[in-house]
Amino acid sequence: MSGILYYDLRHVTGQVTHIDIDNSVVESAGTSFFNKAVIRVLSKTGWGILQIDNYSPCQGKKFDAILESACRLARITEENVVLGDAPHGILSVPPMKEDPRDVCIEEKSTLLSEIEKAAQHPLVVNRRANFIEKIEHIRFTDSSENEYSYEMCRSGFNILAVASRNGNIQMGYEREHSIHGFNLRHQQSLGKKAAEIAVALLDAGAAKSGKMRAVLDPELAGVFAHEAVGHASEGDLVQEGNSVLKGKTGQKIGNANLTIIDDPGIPEFGFDPVDAEGVAVRRTEIIKKGVINAYLHNRETLSSVGNGIAGHARAMPGEPPLVRMSNTFIEAGDAMQHEIFEECRDGIFLKGSRGGQVDPGRGIFQFNAEYGYLIENGECTRMVRDVSLSGEILKTLHGISLCGNVRTMSPGYCGKGGQSVPVSDGAPYILLCDAVVGGSGMD
Amino acid sequence: MRWWAAVAWIDQLLHDGQKKVDEIEVFYVEGSSVSADTKKKKVNLATISKECGLGIRTIHKGRIGSSSTNDPDHWQECLNAAIASGKLATPQDWEGLPDVVPLSRTPLSFDSTLRIEPKVVLDLIERMLEGAGEHPAEVTAGSASLFTAMVTLANSRGVRYTNQHTGVSLSLEAIHGQSTGYEFDHSSFLDKMEPESVGERATFFAKESDNGKDIATGDYEILLSPLAYGELLGNVFVPALSGRNVHAGRSRLSQSLGKIVTDPAITMYDDPLLKGANGSVHWDAEGTPTRRIDFIRDGILETFAYDLKTAYRFGNKSTASAIRGGFGGLPSIGHHNFIVDGKRNEVADDRVVYVHNVVGAHTANPMNGDFSVEISNAFWMEGGEFETPIRSAMLSGNVFDLHHDICGLSKESRAIGSMILPSVKINKQHIIGK
Repeated sequence: MSGILYYDLRHVTGQVTHIDIDNSVVESAGTSFFNKAVIRVLSKTGWGILQIDNYSPCQGKKFDAILESACRLARITEENVVLGDAPHGILSVPPMKEDPRDVCIEEKSTLLSEIEKAAQHPLVVNRRANFIEKIEHIRFTDSSENEYSYEMCRSGFNILAVASRNGNIQMGYEREHSIHGFNLRHQQSLGKKAAEIAVALLDAGAAKSGKMRAVLDPELAGVFAHEAVGHASEGDLVQEGNSVLKGKTGQKIGNANLTIIDDPGIPEFGFDPVDAEGVAVRRTEIIKKGVINAYLHNRETLSSVGNGIAGHARAMPGEPPLVRMSNTFIEAGDAMQHEIFEECRDGIFLKGSRGGQVDPGRGIFQFNAEYGYLIENGECTRMVRDVSLSGEILKTLHGISLCGNVRTMSPGYCGKGGQSVPVSDGAPYILLCDAVVGGSGMD
Repeated sequence: MRWWAAVAWIDQLLHDGQKKVDEIEVFYVEGSSVSADTKKKKVNLATISKECGLGIRTIHKGRIGSSSTNDPDHWQECLNAAIASGKLATPQDWEGLPDVVPLSRTPLSFDSTLRIEPKVVLDLIERMLEGAGEHPAEVTAGSASLFTAMVTLANSRGVRYTNQHTGVSLSLEAIHGQSTGYEFDHSSFLDKMEPESVGERATFFAKESDNGKDIATGDYEILLSPLAYGELLGNVFVPALSGRNVHAGRSRLSQSLGKIVTDPAITMYDDPLLKGANGSVHWDAEGTPTRRIDFIRDGILETFAYDLKTAYRFGNKSTASAIRGGFGGLPSIGHHNFIVDGKRNEVADDRVVYVHNVVGAHTANPMNGDFSVEISNAFWMEGGEFETPIRSAMLSGNVFDLHHDICGLSKESRAIGSMILPSVKINKQHIIGK
C-alpha cells in the first residue's frame, strides 16, 4: 500500500478475575472481559497509530481502510523513523503447575480468606486480601508476514495488615504473583508474616537520616537495579537525550563485582515469549563488570541509538509498545550473607520495597524500604521504619562493595508513559557504602 | 443519535436484569482521542483512540455483583458474570440505588468547540515548542492530546443520565546539561490552555536548575509548589478522608472528627459544581446528585467522603463522592475538584527553599504519613525571585504533621489532576543534604 513502510497489529482479548476481602467481608469478586487492539503504521515521516476497543479482526478492504486511516494520521509526523533489523521468533510459554481456570471462584475465595484470617492479631485493626488472575490471548501480525499468537496467565495475591496502637498506625504487606499457575494454596504463613511485621513496626523507631553503610535485601536491591540503572538504559530515553547513560558506553560506573541484566526470556513474572513488535526476546547485559555495556531497545531505538539489541518492546493491551524492562537483576557474586553484615559493621539493613522513582535525565533516583534494622557491630539490632534511599546513578553504583552469592527475584509492576506492565526485579544481598538514607529520626 | 441508540440495549439489559436481581445499574463510556508525541522537537507519532466499554453492577439481597466488557453486543454475558459475582459477595445493608431527580443537563466540563483533530494537537505542539525556545535548554520529549467522552449512567430506578467531557493535555520535558525540567497543563477547555507557557516553564526549570549548589542538612522554611504539594497531599492526606479507609482503620484521621487537623487558616473542600473546573459533574458515578463537601474548615475536620455502599454499611449518607477510573470495576470513593484554600498572602517575600517537584511521593507511608523524597527543581527563593538552585537533597517529614506548620498560601492556585492547589509555605521542614 502506498506510503506504508511497515505495519503491525497487536490484538489482545481476555478476562480478569478478582476477589477483594476486607476484614472478612467479601467486598467484590467476579470476572470482567476485555478486547483491545493497537495498529501501528510507519510512513516516511513517522508513526500513525490506532487504538481500538472491541476490535473485530478483519481482512481485505476493511483492513486496508484501517491501515490507510492510520497512514493519513501520520501526515502530521515529521521524523524519518528507521527500524533496525532484529530476529523474530517465539519462546514457549512455561506450563502452569495448576491452571487457575480449573479452580472455581468459590474455592479461590475460601483460600484467600484463609490467608486474610491468618493475619488476625489483637493489634491488627484491618486485614485486606486481594486476588487477581489475568488471562490474555495475544495475536500479533505484521507487514513482514510475521505472525504469533500465545496465551499468558498471571495470577497472585496481596495481603495487607494494618496494626494500630495509641494513634500509631503501621502496615505489613506481602504478595506473591506468578506466571506458573495458581498459587493461593498453603499461603497462610504470608498472612501471618504481614501481621507480625505490622505489629513489630509499632515499636520500631524512625530511621536516622544521613550517609551510612546499608545492606539491601534481594527484593530492595532488585528495585535499586530497576530504578538506578534499568530506566536510564531504556533506548527511547537515550534517544531523546533524557538519560545520564547516553554516550557513556564503556564508562566504568561500578565495581567489577557488579553486573546488571534484563532478560524477558527467563520464566519470571516479567516473562514475554516474544516482544510487542514480534521480535525474539534475549538477555541484555546493561552493566557488565561495572562498565556500561548495552541499552535496552525496540527496533526504532536500536536503529537510532545502537549498542544493544531489540526485543525489549512491551505494551499493555491496546497500547503502543514502549521500551521497557522485564526481569531485571543484579547477578550474584561470591560473598556469603554473614560476610556482608560483618563487612558493614555499623549501618542499616533494609528489607522489602514500597517502590521507587527515577529522573533518568538528571540521574537521580529514590526508593523506599518497607522496614529495616540497625546494624551494630555486624548484628541486626533495633527495627526501624519508613526508610528511603536516594542517590545519583553515576556515583552510587561505585558504592556496591559486596554482592551475595544467592539471587532471588520478586514480582511487581512498573509504570511508564501511562502503562503498567508486569516485571520482576532481583538481586543477591548487597552492601552499599555511602548510601544516602532519608528518615525522620533525629536522634 | 448515539444516546438513543445506546438506550435500546441498555433498556433491554435493565429489563432482563430486573427479573433476576433486586437492582441493576449500567455505566457506559464511549469516547475518542487524538494525540501526538515528539521525540526532541519532532513529532514522531500520532495516535487516534476509540474507547468504549460498559460496567454492570447488580444488587440482590444486599449482595453487590459487578462485571465489565468492551463489547456492548455481549452485554448478556457481562450481566450473567455480574449476577454470578454477586453470589460471592458478603451481604450488607443496602437502601437502594439513587432515584431519578431533575438535574441540569448542561455539562460542566465540556468544550463544545473542541475538535478532536490531528491538526489541533499539531498546533498545540508547535506553540508549546515556541515557548520552549525562550530558554537555552534541549527539548527531549513532548505530548499533546485531546479527548471527548460520553458517559451514560442508567439504573433500575429510572435514572438515565448522560454527561459529556472533553479534555486537553500538554506536557514537555527538557534538559540542560544534567538538569531536567518538566511542565504540563490540562483543562476541559481549549481556550484555557497556555501551550507557550508550558514550553517556557519546562525549559526554564531545566536551564535555571543547572549548576545547583549543595544544601546543608537542617530544618528550613520551605515553599512547596502546587505540583510538589499535590504529590504529598494526593498520596497520603486525601485517601485518609475516604470513609472506607476511616471505617477500616486505615486512616490516621479516623478519630479526628471535630478536631484540629491543620493550621486554622486552612480549608479543604470538594466542589463538584465549580464551573470550568476539570472534574465538575452534576452526579457522581452512582447517580447521586453532587454538592460541595467541606472536609476541613478553619483547620477543623468536619466530615469524610462516602459512596452509597460505605454510607449504608456505616449508617451515613453518601456525599456523592463515588468515582470510576473507567467503565470497569466498581465505583470507589474519590473526589471531583479537591480544593485547598485559606487566607492568601505573599509566600516568597522572605527567604525560603522552593521545591517545584518531588521524586518518590508514592512511596510515602499512607497510614502514618511519614515520607522521605528527593526534591527536584529546588531553589533558594527570596522576594519572589528564583535564586541559587539546589543540586540534590531529600525532604523528610510527615504529611499529616506538616499541615499544622503551614504558614502561608500563595495568591494563585493551579489544577493538578483533580485537585486545585496553591503553593504552600511550611515552617521547619527537614532537608537532608548530600
